[in-house]
Amino acid sequence: MKQYILQRLASGLIVLLGISIFSFALIHLIPGDPIRIMLGENATAEQVHALREQLGLNQPLVTQYFHYLSGVLQGDLGTSFKTGRPVLSEILERFPATVKLAASGMFLAICIGITMGVLAARFKDTFIDFSAMSIATLGVSVPSFWLGILLIMLFTVKLGWLPIAGGTGFRDLVLPAVTLGVLASTVISRLTRAGMVEVLSFDYIRTARAKGLGERAVLFVHAFRNAMIPVVTIIGLQIASLLGGTVIIERVFDWPGLGSLAISSIASRDFPLVQGIILFIGVIFVLVNMLVDIVYSLIDPRIEVGQTKEGAS
Amino acid sequence: MVPTAYLKKIFSTATMVSLSLSLIAGCSTPPASSPASESAPATTPSSSTETPAATANLQPKKGGTITIGIANEPDQLDIHKTGMAVANQIAGNLGASLVTQDPDTLEFKPYLAESWDVSEDGKTWTFKIRTGVKFHDGTSMTAKSIAETYQRALDPATAAKVAGSNLSEVESVESPDDTTLVLHLKQPFAPLLQFLSDPGWLQPLSMQAIAQAGDKYGRQPVGVGPWKFEKWENGQSISFTRNEEFAWADPIFKNQGAPYPDRLVYRFISENQTLLAALDSGSIDIARGVVAKDVAKYRDNPQFEVKEMLRNGLGLFVMLNTRRPVFQEIEVRQALNKAINKEAIMKAVIQGEGVVSYGPLPPSLFGYDEGVKDYGLKYQVDEANALLEKAGYTKNAQGIYEKGGKSLKLDLLTQTGTWAQASQLIQAMLKDIGVEVNIVTLEWGALVDTATKGSFDMTLMGYTLNDPDVLYLFLHSSQADNGLNFSYVKDDKMDQLLEKGRTTVDSAARKDVYTEIQKYVVEQAWWVPIYTEKQFNVVRKPVEGVGIHPLRGLMYHDSWVNQ
Repeated sequence: MKQYILQRLASGLIVLLGISIFSFALIHLIPGDPIRIMLGENATAEQVHALREQLGLNQPLVTQYFHYLSGVLQGDLGTSFKTGRPVLSEILERFPATVKLAASGMFLAICIGITMGVLAARFKDTFIDFSAMSIATLGVSVPSFWLGILLIMLFTVKLGWLPIAGGTGFRDLVLPAVTLGVLASTVISRLTRAGMVEVLSFDYIRTARAKGLGERAVLFVHAFRNAMIPVVTIIGLQIASLLGGTVIIERVFDWPGLGSLAISSIASRDFPLVQGIILFIGVIFVLVNMLVDIVYSLIDPRIEVGQTKEGAS
Repeated sequence: MVPTAYLKKIFSTATMVSLSLSLIAGCSTPPASSPASESAPATTPSSSTETPAATANLQPKKGGTITIGIANEPDQLDIHKTGMAVANQIAGNLGASLVTQDPDTLEFKPYLAESWDVSEDGKTWTFKIRTGVKFHDGTSMTAKSIAETYQRALDPATAAKVAGSNLSEVESVESPDDTTLVLHLKQPFAPLLQFLSDPGWLQPLSMQAIAQAGDKYGRQPVGVGPWKFEKWENGQSISFTRNEEFAWADPIFKNQGAPYPDRLVYRFISENQTLLAALDSGSIDIARGVVAKDVAKYRDNPQFEVKEMLRNGLGLFVMLNTRRPVFQEIEVRQALNKAINKEAIMKAVIQGEGVVSYGPLPPSLFGYDEGVKDYGLKYQVDEANALLEKAGYTKNAQGIYEKGGKSLKLDLLTQTGTWAQASQLIQAMLKDIGVEVNIVTLEWGALVDTATKGSFDMTLMGYTLNDPDVLYLFLHSSQADNGLNFSYVKDDKMDQLLEKGRTTVDSAARKDVYTEIQKYVVEQAWWVPIYTEKQFNVVRKPVEGVGIHPLRGLMYHDSWVNQ
């Protein structure tokens, strides 16, 4: 296990190196000059030149990249062009809000998704199944900003029950978390249903039923665990992407997380901050993926981490 | 180059807004290239001051919080180090100005300076500074504090963007005693009082607070104003608390003491729909920069009050590049002026919420000449055709004008948002008279770079500045190579007039200079002025008494919460 984790960490580093090169190249490809944006419309050529030199943006891209990389290796993600503050502290200041939103959204998504999935599988081809899957399909098709604005119109503007743009307290959390939870639950419920339907058709389930086990025991003791592998994978990926900030939901609900920071930093071409955020998200992805693999082995003892996972499918 | 520039942050914020919004395509309407929310905008003098007439019978009450929703978050509040308009707007609450400007007459009046004298040659300005004013950190404000503040702004090590620019004609500053401040100018400079009347950029700063806070000063600023900095929640809000000791209010306000509300909060809401929902639900009391299409529903609702102002600058005009031989011919420039239907563009792009521009200055700026409506070039397609024919152009088989075998085909630089819509209309209008236009959409920085290099035929442009000296930046020959004179106007008469405009301190004489400038710019037709848009803010009850200044925008010192 230990060796496996070390291996995964090593390959994770290579992935992160790739991410850093890719993000560096990408942001320099976007049209838009941070110097012009910073100095604004009235800047003289000399001012532009001086600031470019000061920020090292006049050097060749490769030099800039290695300069950046050597900073990162020493734990220095640079300073934001816009605010002049360290990138890491800008990110860490926003991260808790994103974690809060992602955790509550995911909690709702798992509750809703698994309940609907199990119900749909148990009552396969009935009205319950049909309704649950219709809702899931609808949920996948609805854009998050639309659902978000609709919820704001109803619960904030019309009913006045919940605030908007008020901070990161519990009442402020409800609407974005529900939006996130409802949308993220749809994939989970479809996968849960598919997994359960497959597992419920296996012989050992028939055996379990034949020996007189109650339906609840069949579902939750025998079937559920085995149906969970793909669900856990997708939950892992969702958590990772939610921790990177849910750009649209954060913007619609004015939630001060990593997603809104990413948008504003891209808009101001704040290169160090954008790169820092991408790298940070990369680290989260690598770590969460590793955790997911470890969780597999806990759910399904046939899978041993560090070996090929033929039993996983 | 003479800097000044609200332009800079304005454009940077505009760019940011449009860029960030375009990322969420479909979620919102692209904003005007004009950063409606941030520039201190203007209204026509006649409708400028709305002192709280409706609330005259109500007695202001103490207490409560006023929350203002605004799209952009500043980079910092060290007013010397930032260049963002929104930072100036917000930091203005922390500060006070040497002189103030009457919102009705636009005359300058004493404020922190009890009086001032200008020497015969216009180069030495002596201010008598009032006593008894204290910074939020408890230190006394004296003429020396102001001198040190301006010296800091002028110090190249500070790299002050706008504050430094506004003082760029100042050679040195001294304070012979605690109540005397002397500014020595390089040459007489008429816009100086305008700049000194801004409580944001040129407010006195506490050197002690700056030394104590070090690098962190930009996030814990100190001033002499009615509001004290409380906290900055990154990505969310900036809050101020009432300065209880404040007894030196700007004389343009009724309230001469401390502000009425306990707190003033700026909340950053970048998404337009969310901003409006926050206003509708009462999460915020004031929405800044509401776009024209959303304003109608608030106009008819007694729960809300719409505060509108005319931008203090041209919102949209076309600059013709006179480096190009085609635009060295005055007939061609005039023809384009007559081929573009300004009213139609204004109606389509900003729902008619503005005024059509015939000259280089908007009605909101000092020196605007009413007569420009008569002598300005009007939409006259037949005259446009006649002018092109006079210049030797003839129509080819495709109906496009050509001369010497070269057809009249022009590039037009634009950016996304309202400008993009306007450029399509311009393209269609010019096509109608037989001129082909190729629209080139660029991101803001790239547009400025291209325009500076001169590799374009025509570009859309806009500006905001509260002094007509802005024309110096756009039309003086010294600004042709690295400045904003993208049209590359190098004209002796123009230069002389612009120099006279900035050095004539007597306001009646100065107004005459700008009248002449407007006539000359119209005659030479280097630009095609199109419109100046209105900018909207919506105030929700129970907040009362929000005032509006034609050049500074919303004013909160008479505001209170009727709870």
